[in-house]
Amino acid sequence: MTAVQKRILINRIALVFSTLSAIIALGFLFWILGILVMKGMSALNWNIFIYEGAPPGYEDSGLKHALTGQLILVGLATSVGVPLGILAGTYLSEYGKNSKLAHAIRDISDIMMSAPSIVIGAFVYAIIVMPMGHFSAWAGAIALAIIMIPIILRTTDDMLQLVPGTLREAAFALGAPKYKVILSVVYRGAKAGILTGVLLGIARVAGETAPLLFTSFNDNFFTTDLNAAMPSLTVTMFNYATSPYEDWQQLGWAAAFILSMFILGLNVLGRLILLAGKGK
Amino acid sequence: MASIIDIKEECALQVRDFEFTYKGATSPSLKKVSMPIAKHSITALIGPSGCGKTTLLRAFNRMHDLYPGNTYAGEIEFEGRNILTPKEDLIHLRTKIGMIFQKPTAFPMSIFDNVAYGMRLQGIKNKTELNDRVEKALKDAAIWKEVSDRLKHDANGLSGGQQQRLCIARAIAVEPDVLLFDEPTSALDPISTQGIEKLVIELKERVSIIIVTHNMQQAARVSDYTGFMYLGELIELGQTEELFVTPKEKLTQEYITGKFG
Amino acid sequence: MIDKIFFNFTRFSALLILVIVAWIFVVLFNQSIEAMNTFGLDFITKDEWAPNLDKFGAYAAIFGSVASTFLAMLLAIPVAIGVAIFLSEIAHDKIKGFFGVSVELLAAIPSVIYGMWGLFYFVPILRDIFGGMGIGLLAAGIVLAIMILPFMAAVTRDAMNTTPDILKESAYALGGTQWDVIKDVIIPYAKAGIIGSLILALGRAIGETMAVTFVMGNVHHVPGSILDPTTSIPVTLANEFTEADSSLYFSSLFGLALTLLIMSFVVIAIAKFYFLRKARRA
Repeated sequence: MTAVQKRILINRIALVFSTLSAIIALGFLFWILGILVMKGMSALNWNIFIYEGAPPGYEDSGLKHALTGQLILVGLATSVGVPLGILAGTYLSEYGKNSKLAHAIRDISDIMMSAPSIVIGAFVYAIIVMPMGHFSAWAGAIALAIIMIPIILRTTDDMLQLVPGTLREAAFALGAPKYKVILSVVYRGAKAGILTGVLLGIARVAGETAPLLFTSFNDNFFTTDLNAAMPSLTVTMFNYATSPYEDWQQLGWAAAFILSMFILGLNVLGRLILLAGKGK
Repeated sequence: MASIIDIKEECALQVRDFEFTYKGATSPSLKKVSMPIAKHSITALIGPSGCGKTTLLRAFNRMHDLYPGNTYAGEIEFEGRNILTPKEDLIHLRTKIGMIFQKPTAFPMSIFDNVAYGMRLQGIKNKTELNDRVEKALKDAAIWKEVSDRLKHDANGLSGGQQQRLCIARAIAVEPDVLLFDEPTSALDPISTQGIEKLVIELKERVSIIIVTHNMQQAARVSDYTGFMYLGELIELGQTEELFVTPKEKLTQEYITGKFG
Repeated sequence: MIDKIFFNFTRFSALLILVIVAWIFVVLFNQSIEAMNTFGLDFITKDEWAPNLDKFGAYAAIFGSVASTFLAMLLAIPVAIGVAIFLSEIAHDKIKGFFGVSVELLAAIPSVIYGMWGLFYFVPILRDIFGGMGIGLLAAGIVLAIMILPFMAAVTRDAMNTTPDILKESAYALGGTQWDVIKDVIIPYAKAGIIGSLILALGRAIGETMAVTFVMGNVHHVPGSILDPTTSIPVTLANEFTEADSSLYFSSLFGLALTLLIMSFVVIAIAKFYFLRKARRA
């Protein structure tokens, strides 16, 4: 065999291996996705939205409590995390720019983005749950907000920097003060990107379980009291899935399915917004 | 119609009714191009951007095949066969027809390994042979003196002009018959450009050269034949002096006198 | 006036990040002082974890974290690189788009779902093959590998895609095959970015809780084989935090949290500031 023939053979083998690994990887992932969809769909019914948690064996049990709790927790986290993240990103892009401080903030925030979320839960436990003496929705929401801020900060910073400097200069030339330039020109230019960042940030925290385990804890009943433990889809899934009861496990899969669809929907929506923004 | 002169020399390549269509395009980017490429001389392709000169150049070593969906029609004859057929051995073809790009493309490896790369692909493992041929290629590319004491250094430490000469050394090390230059000096300063042009002229002793350039002066300085292309067609091919002094086509005249471009 | 207020709002928010991070370290440190004073270095070198005796040695959890992550990386890296090569060099545009988006969407699926799949579908298979309980280090490593795979493949592909087309074409122009171009040009060129991406994935894996909580076993023992149940730092935290009943127990759990935070901080910092920064400069 000549050297060239050998290379062609090795090329074939390598490409086959890499294609195989793609097939294996996607095979596993679609297996998981398939189970999620099948189990989730079969467990899905209207009762899930009407009833709250019930002891195992009861007909009338659902996820109303967890769904509401999830929305409240993520909503609260968003209302804290998004403004802080956007403002911080604005500082980096519009004021801090290349200063040492701005770079330090970017670096630390970048690391935070990949930090273990369960540690955030432990931190919030120490600063909120311990002094208050009980679990609360507040604690859960703050844990989620802390996870969210670095994500929003990063995308805001990136997206604002994409807005051309000439646009800012043009607005300054008209005599607008800086905050007005930022609010009315820079934000508008980066609207699609920031919105996508927010959606991805929400999607990210919506799937978090670990930081909620000992902050908002869990509850099997419907509640809107922010000062008390609050159920969430993720922790409910965790508890139901590890329970020995078949009907609870069913509900766990239903919760997994609803949550995944919500998160995938946010991701797809984020992408579409970004694509639409680019298309202009 | 196009005015294509007959060349006196033997042909290295012969293009006949060549058409090329990019993936998804409704009309061909090159239309019925026919031209001879003379052996051991330099043929320049000029024309405004988008005229198809680079597209034509990249057909000679079937570079377009890297991006599926492009289609060829007509033929390009090389060593007595049409190289556009599906059964053409592209690996062999590309060792016979080398290419230099718009920007220097030093691989992320040492200077020596860069030059030896093509030879190693062909299975040359013998150390003395590699050493000799690398040295010869670097000498032929007029860069030996500058790098002989740092052959093991990363090639990306060289200047742009040096890197481009390194790429030429890498291309000639495998002893091709034809070299394709795609605007080889567009990223270089005037002095490096001069060096490359001088080198290109020296190289025609051993290889046939096709050079695409957006710079008419460059074409006039280095080439023996010049082809003027416009909107995917070859408008005129002539001896360089004649084409620039007494063009036969009105379009050519307008282009070289700067009426458009 | 408003200008000044707006500026201060943004600066406050930006500084808040630094404050929070510093605060996390301080709080975790303060909370774990009791455990550190009681056990000293024994805390990380002994594996006796006996809440009823008030003895806490985190070695088994630390070992479990490192071992499960190592196992996951060992399994995931070759596959992820294969997937990345497939996505950036082999697949045709349509497949590339479809697979590429699927991989990215799969990276967004909550990790707790990987854990549920592992517990209900994968552990039984392991049990059938190897006997025993199925749960343990091997199960955790595999589930972690599958969970981290989409992220890893996506970032590795992105790193490979930074290779300029013209550089690849130069290698093809010398008669290289696809594989020659991948191993001689793309991988060397994108090396720093690829390594950085892989380490970043490692950083994520080491702090992952929910994918492994179900399948690891939560047994404070250094496992004798990869089939034995064991524990990791996040698994211990998830299982025991709400059960802790003494201040030393709590303090030890906070000590675990601090250990985990430092481990992942170091790993992520190496990935981001050494490799990925180098990759950006290149």
